[in-house]
Amino acid sequence: MRSRPLARGVTYAFLIAAALLMIAPFVWSISTSLKQPGDVFAYPPKLLPDPITFQNYVDVFTKLTFDRYFLNSVIVTASVVVLNVLFGTAAAYAFAKLRFPGRNAIFFLLLLTLMVPFQVNLIPLYKIMVELHKAIPAIGADTYFGIVAPSAIQVFGIFLMRQFLRGIPDEILESARMDGASELRILRSIVFPIALPGMATLAIFTFLGAWNDFLWPLIVTNSDEMRTMPVGLALLARKNASNWGDTMAGTVLTAAPLILMFLILQRRFIEGLTAGSVKDVG
Amino acid sequence: MTLRRRFRGASAGYLLIAPALAATVIFLVIPMVVSAWWSLTHYNGIKPAEFVGLQNYLDVLSNARFQKAFENTIAFVILGMGIGPALGLGSALLLDRALRLRGLFRSAFFLPTMTSLVVVATIWKFLYSDAGIINAVIGIFGLPGVNWLSDTTTALPAVVVTSIWQGFGFETVVFLAALQSIPRNYYEAASIDGAGRWAKFRWVTLPGLRPTILFVYVIGIIGSFQTYDQIFVMTNGGPIQATRTIVFDLVDRFNRLDLGGASAVAYILVVFLAVLSYLQLRIGEERD
Repeated sequence: MRSRPLARGVTYAFLIAAALLMIAPFVWSISTSLKQPGDVFAYPPKLLPDPITFQNYVDVFTKLTFDRYFLNSVIVTASVVVLNVLFGTAAAYAFAKLRFPGRNAIFFLLLLTLMVPFQVNLIPLYKIMVELHKAIPAIGADTYFGIVAPSAIQVFGIFLMRQFLRGIPDEILESARMDGASELRILRSIVFPIALPGMATLAIFTFLGAWNDFLWPLIVTNSDEMRTMPVGLALLARKNASNWGDTMAGTVLTAAPLILMFLILQRRFIEGLTAGSVKDVG
Repeated sequence: MTLRRRFRGASAGYLLIAPALAATVIFLVIPMVVSAWWSLTHYNGIKPAEFVGLQNYLDVLSNARFQKAFENTIAFVILGMGIGPALGLGSALLLDRALRLRGLFRSAFFLPTMTSLVVVATIWKFLYSDAGIINAVIGIFGLPGVNWLSDTTTALPAVVVTSIWQGFGFETVVFLAALQSIPRNYYEAASIDGAGRWAKFRWVTLPGLRPTILFVYVIGIIGSFQTYDQIFVMTNGGPIQATRTIVFDLVDRFNRLDLGGASAVAYILVVFLAVLSYLQLRIGEERD
């Protein structure tokens, strides 16, 4: 009992140190993004920018094209989220609640594709997109369609929603059918409203994945106008620019939407991410 | 009536899964098959593919750069997975005891996990830069600065630190959720049996965490086997191949129009991940 206050002190000391270690790089990046170029590597380091300047943020939008990257990321992410939530939920409803020959076999085959790492599809997929673009310039490589299509309907989302929809009592659906409602009607007026919390979780997951996605948008885009935030930022960071101020402004702008969303929807984020982990994976 | 309804249900079922099925076949199954075929051919994307059997696999496996990439990837997995989850578990155990401010700590730890690898890598590249803050801090202690990312001995560990830093919050949160799902009366029962703190950890906590530990390692190992984004941003595979990974090698071959070789690398990756998943599944079943 005597060691209790000491043990507690040590516990909190470790936790505070860890928290500082997690937050400090972000603070440093924000601080740097607000500094004048000459202050970035000042010695001793200036923890807070003095004077504060927003020039780096002006620069990434005017000298660089982060406004365009941001727009692209918003369009791509919104499309991926909406498509996955709609089509993923629809497919999940069929797999969870409708009977048709081959249902379980098809679902099992879809699940198998989760085992395939994306890198295997990467190059043929790029080739497909290049050919598509030659045939129809509006789609294929270096277009929004090209970036979005491969992740527009993800098996993972169908799996997640199927788990969720299995909980809907069959009686509700059956009585709607008795009343003559079509399956599409049932989907729209019964399934979607009940499935909203599950759809929200799916939306968060796909938002996270789509906003942060890097390898595919990097490969499938060639022109600067089609780059997403992470691709634009990575190419900027790679140039090993002497001006870190604008690069740090880029990191702040790329991270901000997700961090804001996390702060607002924290509980759902953490519950969603930990949902699969406590029960046995096998 | 029943028959008609069943038929209606069936056609609706096919209608609802059709978009998902079409997308999976076009963007996943077909590329997968094409990739398997290319891995057996010499193909540069322009001239027709020429069948060469397993030649690409033999070439890749005996290629010095691939071997280096393979070694580095294994080093990434071992270093990252050797340290990361242990730190996560440690901090989860501390958080489990700290009742005050738990939510605040958890959120702070979770921030890097929310952030894209590209952002994380960019920030750390800046921290590691020659005149950067890390060298400034060690300079306070009179130590000389290190060229973290351009020195062959420090580059790989420096990138691994970045990955551990990013995964720490995820591991903490997952372990914390698992710790809190262990029924408290197990601990009480162990106390009555005279178990000390270590015995309780060994015989109550660890068995309770087993599925979660497996989960964290499965996710973590598969993830570190595919390390690419950090390398692209921080080191571009260098210095002198010191941070070249399997996926970096794959993309490099693609850029050099060796599509056959790149496809072979992809399938070697698949084989490794499949073997690993199988082993992990076996470990999972073993003690159940």
